[in-house]
Amino acid sequence: MSAPALAAITVSDLSKNFGHFQAVKGISFTVAPGEIVGFLGPNGAGKTTTIKMITGLLKITSGTVLIGGLDNRKHLAAIKKKLGYMSQKFSLYPLLTAMENIEFFGGISGLPPAELRLHMARMEEQVASDILGQKIQDVPPGIRQKVALFVCLMPEPEIILLDEPTSGVDPEARRLFWNELYGLKKHGKTLLVSTHNLDEAEYCDRIIIIHNGEIVACGEPEELLRQKGKVNIEELFKDAIQEHGQN
Amino acid sequence: MKLFYLVKKELIEIVRQKELLVLMFIAPVIQIIILGYVISTDIRHVPVGIVNLAKGQAAGQIIQRVRQTQLFNVRVLSDRSEDYLYLLKKGEVKTVLIFRDALDRKRSVQKYPEVQILMDGMDSNTSMIAAGYFNGIIKNYILNDMEKLGQGLPLSGQAVFRFNPQLRSINYMGPGIVGFLLTIITMFLTSASMVREKEQQTLDTLLISPLSTLEIYIGKALPAALIGLADMVIGLVVVVLWFGIPFRGNLFYLFLASLVYLAAILSYALLISVLSATTQQAMFFAWFSLMIFLLMSGFFTPVDNIPPLLRVLADINPLRYLIKIIREIFLKGNSIAFFWKDLLVLSGIALTLMSISLLNFKRFISK
Amino acid sequence: MPSKNMGRIKAIIVKEFFHIMRDPRSLTMVFFIPLVMIFILGYSVSYDLNRIDAAVIDLSQSRLSKQLVQAFAANRIFVIRTRGNNGHGTLSLAAAEKMLRQQKIKEIIVIPADLSRCLAEKRQCSIGLIIDGSDVNIANLVYQYDERIILEFIAAMKGVGQLLKINTKIFFNPEARSQFFFIPGLVAVILLMISAMLTSLSVAKERETGSIALLFISPLKSREIIIGKTIPYIIVSLLDGVVILLFARFWFGIPLRGSLAVLLVFALLYIVSGLALGILISASAPTQRTAMLATLLITMLPSFLLSGFIFPLDSLSPVLRAISYVIPATYFLRIIRGVILKGAELRHFLFDGGMLIALSMVLLAAATRKFNRQRKAAQ
Repeated sequence: MSAPALAAITVSDLSKNFGHFQAVKGISFTVAPGEIVGFLGPNGAGKTTTIKMITGLLKITSGTVLIGGLDNRKHLAAIKKKLGYMSQKFSLYPLLTAMENIEFFGGISGLPPAELRLHMARMEEQVASDILGQKIQDVPPGIRQKVALFVCLMPEPEIILLDEPTSGVDPEARRLFWNELYGLKKHGKTLLVSTHNLDEAEYCDRIIIIHNGEIVACGEPEELLRQKGKVNIEELFKDAIQEHGQN
Repeated sequence: MKLFYLVKKELIEIVRQKELLVLMFIAPVIQIIILGYVISTDIRHVPVGIVNLAKGQAAGQIIQRVRQTQLFNVRVLSDRSEDYLYLLKKGEVKTVLIFRDALDRKRSVQKYPEVQILMDGMDSNTSMIAAGYFNGIIKNYILNDMEKLGQGLPLSGQAVFRFNPQLRSINYMGPGIVGFLLTIITMFLTSASMVREKEQQTLDTLLISPLSTLEIYIGKALPAALIGLADMVIGLVVVVLWFGIPFRGNLFYLFLASLVYLAAILSYALLISVLSATTQQAMFFAWFSLMIFLLMSGFFTPVDNIPPLLRVLADINPLRYLIKIIREIFLKGNSIAFFWKDLLVLSGIALTLMSISLLNFKRFISK
Repeated sequence: MPSKNMGRIKAIIVKEFFHIMRDPRSLTMVFFIPLVMIFILGYSVSYDLNRIDAAVIDLSQSRLSKQLVQAFAANRIFVIRTRGNNGHGTLSLAAAEKMLRQQKIKEIIVIPADLSRCLAEKRQCSIGLIIDGSDVNIANLVYQYDERIILEFIAAMKGVGQLLKINTKIFFNPEARSQFFFIPGLVAVILLMISAMLTSLSVAKERETGSIALLFISPLKSREIIIGKTIPYIIVSLLDGVVILLFARFWFGIPLRGSLAVLLVFALLYIVSGLALGILISASAPTQRTAMLATLLITMLPSFLLSGFIFPLDSLSPVLRAISYVIPATYFLRIIRGVILKGAELRHFLFDGGMLIALSMVLLAAATRKFNRQRKAAQ
């Protein structure tokens, strides 16, 4: 085996204050290349804030984020090329059709027109054209989710950050979505997926549980369950939060 | 190239809203047409009540002359004062003329009657003009009568009106409204643009893309500028073809001034867009600014009347300069020698606004 | 069951109220912006002519012509120039025309060389007036001033003044301040815009955020939803109206000669018509941006132009006069000016009040229909 690969994401002692409120309280973790890491926590735990700091969208109060060894405050332009980001609620233009959204996002990420056309043709193979021609606000959430992921993947990022990608989608579509994420992992992509659906933890190589801006548990799902002697993630989660609250 | 996609997207978003399109392209035409027929503070058909208590012949002849002008709708009233005061209060007549026989010391009736003019001072403008006319008509009558000149006067003014010989209001207001439309459309298209991205949750994706701040800025401004210019052309066509207002000046300068103005107004709108927290706030701000821009631009009422302290606001109002330049070009066919100062000031305002706006835009994006 | 209906409408009202209160920044704007507008515009909007710059070219140079120039100069509005640009030498016609073009002067008065002889021989004689016609209103005013001064001049010369007694009495606004005319008008125009804008965003906002679906599937009747969404804003707008009126009363010293109660009753009717207009726009517009633009185009220009706010209604052509009858501001302008300046009473404005009610009903019905149709389409 070669020497341990450089971590895809290294977060150290990361904090974020909004005025007097500390949303993220000095957390540290790493994501290795080719891993799917689940970022679990209730709403308001600090998941979105952390992900936004990793992408550089939100100013870091203190601590550092390294992407492939590069500090994201110094090398933002280079890092933008490596990162794919799918924000909450899919971040598509409601008045544009699916195809127009794809063309737009591909276009602004600097894809050459020929390549962009290839991508669009690929989408047309996957979804019926009458759906693709509707305004995105009128299509089912499952399709919106699919388009959003597609848009995020077009520039072929190495590291993909997904913020609550499965909220508001039915269980069947969710399963299909996770299958797709597995496919990405097979292609060597690194994924950090935030969710408040605890049952999605089982899909992840590793999970990080965050609560009130602090990491309360971290590790492989099976391993964590065994350590704490719990049967499912839900109990593990409750337990971790309770334990944390007492400290 | 990236910019192209941004502009395209913005345009699609606008075109997708039928209602918005109608508002942007049909409403202005209707507005101009209405404006063309309505605007004038000339008085016409002012309702006037007349009470004639005089027995002499002169009063009757004077009343006849009042009737002859197109300015007044004459209504003969009874002499009960509560009646005409009621009508005056209700606004059904704007002025009441009361003719009485004038008596000298020996209580014999004079040739010319005594006139009392009761005016509704509320609309002081209309009333003053009307009173002036009555005064004129009466004195005119007496002079004619004395000098036996028929309807003429020994000395009178012979007026020639420059730049707008027939005194058509639309010639003055029409070109102005073109500037106004440019403002209203671009302001509303742009002032909510960044807040909207935030509310739609699309802002983050835009920010994480390789687009630079300047590209986003231009991408937001350009589509509105294009639509604004299209609107302006439509406005000009209506003004020139429908109302037959002569265009005497240089089209190049007209567009040059408009472009400079667009830079100013779009910078301002984008500034609103990054300073507002919600679309609603942005819209309120835009509305407020628009009212101030419009009413302090000399479009409806002369800028000269603004008191010195508030004049500063008028002096930094970009619309004021645009409207002035448009009118200079349109009505007088003036060359740049007559308005280069205005164009310079307008450019200064545009540059200042643009720098303030870009600075705030940068801050907004790197938050 | 009426009580059940009331309860449901109440729920909507309470929800809307929370919405309003939870956004203090917008609320401040709703109260603050109109005040700033009245403040600035109250001082700035006026078409009084305070100064007429005129160049005089006196070709006669006689005693009589000098008296005539004196007659112009004596009028406090006229600022007369007889000299060339650098202060000496007589003004040539060409130089004067250039000044006219540069907007340095508004008119050129040319006194003919044969003025004295002409008058002595009892021939008709005319003074040349070259007036900048670009702003028609100003041009007309200038011309009227000229005519009046010339007439007074000749009348004084012929001793007409002694023959004639004209006694002018100005009611309601003895100093003829145009602020007395404009500020109540501004109150009316701004109140309409504010109320229409408040509601115009309400349905459109729900549509944009998607929460409209919840309204669609609620058991409420469309009529109830529309009314429930309107009521909270009546209170906000009425408060706003009171604040604006107080400002006009105490800052600008606009008198209130009639009864405040009467004014408020009509203001209420007027506000409802504005809110109804807004809600109709809101029910028709897909986004807030469209709603706002529509509100603005629909309220601003017609209320400015066709209501008598700036331009006298009597001068409108018949077709436009007809349009003015469906503009709420037309009625309220008459009412507010009447009550404030003339002390008019309720009985003077029964027709106007009735029209405001009728307009509100029609607008609300149209909004309900529109909303209902979308609701059916969504289900």
